[in-house]
Amino acid sequence: MHISDGVLPISVTIGGYVACAALAAWSARRTHSDELPKLAVVTAAFFVASLIHVPFGPTSVHLIIPGLTGALLGPSAFLSIGLGLVLQSLLFQFGGLTALGANALMMGLPALACGWFFQKFKGQTRTRQAVTGGLAGAAGTILAAIILALLLATGGEDFFGVAKIALAAHIPVILIEGGISAFTVGFLARVKPALLQPSFVHLAKRPHG
Amino acid sequence: MADVIHIQMPFWQLSLMVVVPPSILIALVVWLRQLILARSMPGEEPDWSVPPLEAAERGSLLHRWDVRCKIVTILAYSFMVAALQHIGSALVAIAISCLVLVVSRASLSRVTMRLLAIAGFVSMFIVVMPFTVPARDGDTVFVINQMTWLGVNLRGLLLAATIAAKAVAITLLMEPLLSTAPLPVTLQGLSRLGAPEIIGQMVLLSYRYLHVFRHEARRMSAGMQVRGFRKRTDIATLRAVANFLGMLFVRSFERTERVFDAMRARGYKGKMPEQLELKLHGADLLAAGLWMTAGIVLILFDRLG
Repeated sequence: MHISDGVLPISVTIGGYVACAALAAWSARRTHSDELPKLAVVTAAFFVASLIHVPFGPTSVHLIIPGLTGALLGPSAFLSIGLGLVLQSLLFQFGGLTALGANALMMGLPALACGWFFQKFKGQTRTRQAVTGGLAGAAGTILAAIILALLLATGGEDFFGVAKIALAAHIPVILIEGGISAFTVGFLARVKPALLQPSFVHLAKRPHG
Repeated sequence: MADVIHIQMPFWQLSLMVVVPPSILIALVVWLRQLILARSMPGEEPDWSVPPLEAAERGSLLHRWDVRCKIVTILAYSFMVAALQHIGSALVAIAISCLVLVVSRASLSRVTMRLLAIAGFVSMFIVVMPFTVPARDGDTVFVINQMTWLGVNLRGLLLAATIAAKAVAITLLMEPLLSTAPLPVTLQGLSRLGAPEIIGQMVLLSYRYLHVFRHEARRMSAGMQVRGFRKRTDIATLRAVANFLGMLFVRSFERTERVFDAMRARGYKGKMPEQLELKLHGADLLAAGLWMTAGIVLILFDRLG
């Protein structure tokens, strides 16, 4: 769920932009400048992944995958997510212009936290990696939902009700994200374990045909 | 000292009041979405691997406006609109946005798509807020037979409507901001305004590859369907979708290296050639000044009026 324009108090949106710029600068510093064009291409893949809908009973939810992005990209994830949001406003018509900073924080902070969590606890065995990945995926969505609720609550008492409902609406998404992340990490551990290594630099060192 | 005003109302009247506006909204959204889907149905599916980087040459005032002025003005004006507090001034802001739309000759279907994209989030506010906003002194609350816990607070409805109006006013401006210049030019303007150059290049690059990967994803999902895969609510579906994602990532990661090598082979050194020379004319600044004045007048009208 993205916050649209006009919802947040003006001070929060400006604060969001400032915090987002600082974090993006940090994230860019942690990524080698040669790697930035590669990060851009990878972001495109994550973006396409976020367009996929998974059925849930009568409705369907689309993936957000902040947890998975963090697990795979580490500190670069914040930059990738910010970029993803810009693309979203360019292409798929969704983009809070004034709320862009706040939205980037909402998705990017969980990604950073989950990336750290995944690298810290992923261990060696495939099962453990899959379980950790699943936990990271679920935690990413939980954190995003909490940040969304907190941001909405900055509007004052009038917004508490909306914040609670937005929080509750994320529960099915949390389950699906957790499951998908676990299976995806399990798949990558089998097929291309190099992608689960801590740094983006290791990604594609070997020449490809 | 004004207390909370409770207005008793028969059940059917209240339920009508609560149910009708959202259902009209939802029906409208569904109808518009179908209309647009029907218009972009098979046969006309554009080849996304050739991204439409150039906006169609239309040549309105906004197309000729200096891109730096345009970005700064629209961004600052959007913040002004977001700061409005009353429904009246928010409606005026919508009118101004519509005027800009007419001047910029934006594509109506793309604007509608943008509006549809925010419809879900905004209608959540309209449905939820009347019930959850706490009653304060001077509020008007509609209740059924003393059931105060299910009161419809008029102030909540008004607040939600103001938020919706502001969201619509800003969303209407996105199309004039983004599609009145080719994307590389907009990004060039952004980098001239002080954004790091690499950011603009990353946007361009991922914009291009996005279409490639979408194409790939579509091909992969067609393959899955041919093999008999149908989406359901079960673990097997989750596993299949996860493998799909994993494969998408593996392929894209492998591709990045090749893309980057190819770019370097063609002489990429962290910079792309400039699209065109940007020149600032007096008229550009005048337009920016006029628009900003309109925004400031709007804010004053909102706070004082």
